[in-house]
Amino acid sequence: MSVCAIHNLTRNYGKERGVFNLSFSINRGEVFGFLGPNGAGKTTTIRHLMGFLKPEEGYCTIGGKDCWKDRAVIQKSLGYIPGEMVFFDDMTGTDFLTFMAKYRKVKSDRRTKELLDRFELDPRSKLKKMSKGMKQKVGIVAAFMHDPEVLILDEPTSGLDPLMQSRFVELILEEKAKGKTILMSSHMFEEVERTCTRVAIIKKGRLVAMDAVETLKAAQAKKFVITLESEEATAAFAQEGLRIIDISQNRVTVIVQNNIKELIAVMNRFPVTNIATPNQSLEEIFMQYYGGGIVG
Amino acid sequence: MNLTLYKRGIQGSWKMLLIFAAVISMYFTVIVSMFDPALGSALNEFAKAMPELMAIVGMNPASAELISFLEAYLYGFIMLVFPMLFCILSANKLIARHIDRGSMTYLLAAPVKRVTVAFTQMKVMVTGLFTLVIFATLLGIVNCEISFPGQLDIGKFILLNIGAFCLQLFIGSICFLSSCIFNDVKYAVGIGAGIPALGFIIQMIANAGKELETAKYFTFFTLFDSDGIIAGDPFAFWGIAALFAGALALFTAAIVVFVKKDLHI
Repeated sequence: MSVCAIHNLTRNYGKERGVFNLSFSINRGEVFGFLGPNGAGKTTTIRHLMGFLKPEEGYCTIGGKDCWKDRAVIQKSLGYIPGEMVFFDDMTGTDFLTFMAKYRKVKSDRRTKELLDRFELDPRSKLKKMSKGMKQKVGIVAAFMHDPEVLILDEPTSGLDPLMQSRFVELILEEKAKGKTILMSSHMFEEVERTCTRVAIIKKGRLVAMDAVETLKAAQAKKFVITLESEEATAAFAQEGLRIIDISQNRVTVIVQNNIKELIAVMNRFPVTNIATPNQSLEEIFMQYYGGGIVG
Repeated sequence: MNLTLYKRGIQGSWKMLLIFAAVISMYFTVIVSMFDPALGSALNEFAKAMPELMAIVGMNPASAELISFLEAYLYGFIMLVFPMLFCILSANKLIARHIDRGSMTYLLAAPVKRVTVAFTQMKVMVTGLFTLVIFATLLGIVNCEISFPGQLDIGKFILLNIGAFCLQLFIGSICFLSSCIFNDVKYAVGIGAGIPALGFIIQMIANAGKELETAKYFTFFTLFDSDGIIAGDPFAFWGIAALFAGALALFTAAIVVFVKKDLHI
């Protein structure tokens, strides 16, 4: 059953900015990765889901309710981490969390305490003086304190160190197990790979790809940069029928998809001096998977 | 209304309120002490020496009574400008600044309707304004009773303050509407402060001389006819009622704008 749905959503800011005829839906208990380069329209989409913006065309629903008209009702069981953490002036983290709990009419502070422990956060200092990571943690606690059914997370781990990122992934997996529905925008491959069931990628406001993470992982093309002894050897290596995307001096970049053995066999016959696997961004991986269709 | 947000708003504005109260206290104490029923005060001498200049800022008492004295020297300038400043600062702080900075996100990412958020913020501003005027009223009465017992017509003084409150409420509603319309603090303050300031300047021009008097038809400040209130002129009371009705209309408009607007937060 779909909990969160977007139907033909359009908002045109001109110059190809905005979102155009966007549609997708997220099922109960699903963690949905929402990816795309900066300025692709992710935040604009999220603002529509939050009821901050009125759609020019189309509509979005959460729990069957209209995101613009029924926004206050929807917010009862919605948790949100904004892309940018801006709090009120002159509040300490504790003041802010107390304020939010009262403002939301959250009765128990059990969950808040548990989250503070989990993220090792002492919220007693002034928000203004907190580091980016600490502010992010305050934002996470505020989003989860009322145990919402639906979560909208806009780059939730930005500013967190690797340990805290992994704690966050654990939290998401627990919520997923509890049947919560989560939309998450992210640039971190590991985070998306470990948590999401499906991903959508948007570019210039349009949906360009949507698939199950398992499918994408299975089809994932891996990139290897192989260094050889000489330029002659490199040129010969390039003739071996592998998928080569770049050659510079004595280095070749090879794309491998389910044919790692073939690469190993070829490498055995050549004077290879080094192998490297460069970090690939999520977008890059998807671009390769979907080929040239979405590049440009 | 959301009580948590209201409390937060009051907490955030009491320091500013205290400063304004201190400034008003100082003026009230000084001006009241200058009143001299027997001889005519030093201020009245000023008014005689430079009638045009004193008239521009509304300082030309209609009679030698204590209430006229207060009306002329406090309710023509001090009690117009300082509460007006409070309205401008307060309206901007309560809505536009939250939108401009992005902290409005947290107020709306909660099961609180936008109409409740706007209404609560409006109430915070009106509470501040009301406190300021009540404070001035009590201060005036107490000051006069100590220095000149029995000489102040308290009933009329209260009416004068009700008039001043309605005028400030109207100014506040302009500032609040502007704060709700514009997403950028620059414009919210520019327009919200600009309209009342322009109105005030036009009133000063109208006060300046006979040939410029028609200017008074171009400013809402004319609706607060302090001389008329003291004289018991029914038109003065219609003026107060008009200001109050105007304030209600503009506050309603502001809330409607806020409920319907797109927020890029």
